[in-house]
Amino acid sequence: MVDYFIPTTLIDTLEFINNNEAKIISGATDLMVQRKKGAEITPYFTKKPVFVFNIKELNFIKESYEHIHIGACTPVSDLLNHKGTPSLLRKSIEVMASPALRNLATLPGNIINASPAGDTLPILYILDASVKIETLNSNRIVKVKDVITGPRRTILNSNEMITEVIVPKEEFTKSDFVKVGGRKADAISKISFTYAVKIKENKIIDLRLAFGAVGPVIIRKEELEEKYTNIELSKFKELKQEIINDYRQYITPINDQRSNKEYRKKVALNLLGDFIDTL
Amino acid sequence: MKDISKTIKKVDSDDKSSGKSKYISDYKMENMLHAITVRSKHQKAKIIKRTYPVLKEGYYIIDHTDIPGVNFVKMIFDDMPVFAENEVNYYLEPIALVVGPDKEEVLEIVNSIEIAYEIQIPTYEYTNSVINYNFTKGNIEKAKKESESEIEYTYNTPYQEQLYIEPQGMIGYFENNQVTLVGSIQCPYYVKAAVVSILDSEEDYIRVKQATVGGAFGGKEEFPSLIACHLAIAVHKIKKSVKLIYEREEDMETTTKRHPATIKLKAYMKDNKILGISSNVGIDAGAYIGLSGVVLSRALIAATGVYTIDNLAVNGDVFITNTVPNGAFRGFGAPQMLFAIEMFIHHIAKDINVEPLTLRQSYLAKQNDSTSTTGTFRDPIIMPEMLEKALKESDFIRKEKEYKQENSLKGIGMSWFLHGCGFTGSGEATHINAVVKLEKDKNDLVTILIAAVDMGQGVKTTMRKIVSNILDIPIENVIYNHPDTNLVPDSGPTVASRTIMIVGGLVARAAKQLKENWIDRNYQIFTEKYKQPSYIKWDEDNFRGDAYPAYSWGINIVEVEIDKNTYEVTVKEGWSVYDVGKAIDEQIIIGQADGGQLQGIGYGYMEVMKAVDGKIQQKNVTDYIIPTSVDAPILHTYLIDNPYPLGPYGAKGAGELTLVGGAPAVALAIEHAIGKKVTKIPVTPEYIMELMSNE
Amino acid sequence: MSKITFILNNKVVSTTQHPTVRLIDVLREEFDYTGVKEGCGEGECGACSVLLNDRLVNSCLVPLGTVHDQKIMTIEGLSETPQGKLLIESYSKEGAVQCGFCTPGMLMASHSLLNEIPNPTDLEIKIGLSGNLCRCTGYNMIVNAVRRASKEGVGLW
Repeated sequence: MVDYFIPTTLIDTLEFINNNEAKIISGATDLMVQRKKGAEITPYFTKKPVFVFNIKELNFIKESYEHIHIGACTPVSDLLNHKGTPSLLRKSIEVMASPALRNLATLPGNIINASPAGDTLPILYILDASVKIETLNSNRIVKVKDVITGPRRTILNSNEMITEVIVPKEEFTKSDFVKVGGRKADAISKISFTYAVKIKENKIIDLRLAFGAVGPVIIRKEELEEKYTNIELSKFKELKQEIINDYRQYITPINDQRSNKEYRKKVALNLLGDFIDTL
Repeated sequence: MKDISKTIKKVDSDDKSSGKSKYISDYKMENMLHAITVRSKHQKAKIIKRTYPVLKEGYYIIDHTDIPGVNFVKMIFDDMPVFAENEVNYYLEPIALVVGPDKEEVLEIVNSIEIAYEIQIPTYEYTNSVINYNFTKGNIEKAKKESESEIEYTYNTPYQEQLYIEPQGMIGYFENNQVTLVGSIQCPYYVKAAVVSILDSEEDYIRVKQATVGGAFGGKEEFPSLIACHLAIAVHKIKKSVKLIYEREEDMETTTKRHPATIKLKAYMKDNKILGISSNVGIDAGAYIGLSGVVLSRALIAATGVYTIDNLAVNGDVFITNTVPNGAFRGFGAPQMLFAIEMFIHHIAKDINVEPLTLRQSYLAKQNDSTSTTGTFRDPIIMPEMLEKALKESDFIRKEKEYKQENSLKGIGMSWFLHGCGFTGSGEATHINAVVKLEKDKNDLVTILIAAVDMGQGVKTTMRKIVSNILDIPIENVIYNHPDTNLVPDSGPTVASRTIMIVGGLVARAAKQLKENWIDRNYQIFTEKYKQPSYIKWDEDNFRGDAYPAYSWGINIVEVEIDKNTYEVTVKEGWSVYDVGKAIDEQIIIGQADGGQLQGIGYGYMEVMKAVDGKIQQKNVTDYIIPTSVDAPILHTYLIDNPYPLGPYGAKGAGELTLVGGAPAVALAIEHAIGKKVTKIPVTPEYIMELMSNE
Repeated sequence: MSKITFILNNKVVSTTQHPTVRLIDVLREEFDYTGVKEGCGEGECGACSVLLNDRLVNSCLVPLGTVHDQKIMTIEGLSETPQGKLLIESYSKEGAVQCGFCTPGMLMASHSLLNEIPNPTDLEIKIGLSGNLCRCTGYNMIVNAVRRASKEGVGLW
């Protein structure tokens, strides 16, 4: 009986997951923590593990005119070394865990783990990033925000694999990512906030905002973004309190071992307010 | 004469760096079995019934029925069972040990054991006092009567986890008719005493050896005795080698931590003078007393910090709660008290509108002043000189003024502190009675025979340096192996900032003996025993007299900046000046000081550990946050010599001192930055937000 | 049973252990490279750091299956190289080793950092070591050690 598989090609992988109850293991940084049973004890997997981390054809960063394509098994540290990586994405990776972890972690891993505190997720949301999901016989492109349905829940079927992350290339007038962790490195977010704005002739023509770790999934409200688009910058600043009030209802953090909901909520709104003030 | 403080190469550095040093989990033996502990699932309950599975050959369940002696971990009080019998008093209390060849199967057996409980109502409040100590100095009633006003604050301090990077662990085996235990431990003879007691055996039936210790900070003082008892009962019964290494979560959830404390201080004031202070201290022991009484007494003795206050009333309680037992941690009660008193002196100054520095200086203890316990500061106190250095290097006074005016969320804070060296009171003479030996073989190689453990603080180097300097022989000719109770006398535990001052002092005396009587190419051995200086008088019942033979002193200054949106703290830079008598090795002391200060700063602003319903919430390294390299500020650390006549080369204690000032310094810096009074630690962004929104 | 083969400290090795077994356990228990330490078992402390294809990883998070046909170096391998020897010496000279439990992992991280940035600033050093926790030193002397190695090791990285 074959109870695991170490493929070297994508097609072999897709075939295996099509024919077996399988679990794809890539960088494994979340999985090995979730499945560990202790030192010198084999971690617990019920499905057949497929070790894809070293599949060469899934390790790439390619740029087209409009997009950057990132192979599923590309460690995020490669994105730090790549010139064309969108600056927001780079910022989120720079503060993700530790150097050693960044050499294993992948974007699809961050997506499939579907933690509201996932560092790259707010960025992938506001950049309208998509993933390519493949099976043996088909493939589809889905926006990251539509892949994640809840904490630790995604739309992926067991015979499907994310093979590529596709990030549109766009120039923003101003953008930033703020991660609030318990310390300056090697931390899990208490709150994260990101924005990307295009301003033309003093008018906001594109506004995108997202919050991490303050709800069950990443909070991005496109209807609110639309509401405050196509207005003068000065007017936008005047609307600060209204904007904050509009977002307030969607910021629904919890108390846990890392922080409390009052702090998370207030800081999320402070960051929003500061963004408006300093725009 | 060469200066002893001049740095030499650390003897164990290269082996540690290259991975050659053997820590306990690195030991391998033939047919070694694995052990995992079976633990309580309730905070307080009666055990009604145990259902053990049928075991395959080679697997064992060890519990209280296997104990030959009395079922207590031998410490100060007989209250903590080795294995729970009829009741459990905290979540995850040990009930049994499963031992066997395949660790995964051992884990399965652990999970298949069924224990029926009758759940009882646990206590988490400070209501059940099991120890009360109190004492006075001067005439507090008179001070109270003469005072015109009172200033009162209550300070709270949390758990702190040692977070040695190497988790607790031990192996046991049966060899030469001895139950032998090798472990990551600070106190080989504590372990031995506990095991002799639990097995009700002869002394020579037990052998305890130290493995290279991957950090301890007090966490491997008394706690390993519990693991040792578990293992020893197993080894005694089955006569096989057994390995018991804690997982990190198990370590964080079940091992001793720094006692949370509530400290209420009241000052009796007249004409902007402090006539007297009354202190009320409560510490949370967890489910069993352990060393909590001693921790409390060290806290109480530190009631006035570095200040001389003429009239005092000091009262303290150890409270039992249904939580994991707390225990030794670098500072041992002093960090809690020093935080409180340092904040208090500052808050008094603010309330009476006096410059804090001025108020501090007017109460700073001087040589021959009376201590909190009406003893005497006999040795010179060089705090003024240290202060001058600290203020100059940090540019404190200018920054203090500027940041206040700027309204910039920048802050600078300063703490003054002291730490008594060695055991409290007459402990060295009455409880420990240290013995050291120095042995020279026919090749003129000299072996230091002591029970002191190098847990990173560098005693492997400093002890050998003391001996090689006195004998004027190369350090390579001085041997100091990991202690083994079959080979070394009981020089006492590696605790209480006593190792260099007390044990090192005895080693130095033995070396001088050897030097005076040296005969080339001859076997020689010299023994030294601790003798209490006759002028040290301590009344343990009334907390009166000289609580310590000597004190080390320190000043910390810390600079911070707070983020206006997130309330996150950046610790930008730190300065410290210490009087540890005389450094045996300057680099070793400065390294230890930097680590101690960062551990103290972490305690002050970052490290959050809470128990909810008796369960530790931050039970791994992801959730219990300690500073990383990026969080660590540049630390400027200075030593000023002030040799102590009875220490080797004038050395005093250093290990604990350097942690004690970190929390108040960073808390005062944050207070300075935000302009709000801080009364608890850690001063987290969550707490800062709360303070800043309460206008 | 099928085998997993990889290059371990420049030697080809193979094992029949299951590919979901943690690399740290294989390195420590089967190949006796006990310089790889377990401090947390969840990739937070860095004590188990090794190089996977010359890049720093936490061996407690790497399943054995991931290293099939790949290259692993532990502290035992690094300490035989000129870079490893210089790091050991620099750590010693700067007093950067106390209890030593974090040190092998810290050296792996230092080496990996200097591979990427031969002349790092202090902040770059700190970021490079940010996944390796130390509870003894306050990090100052460790940063000094890496700076010293960088200065004295011109051309090595």
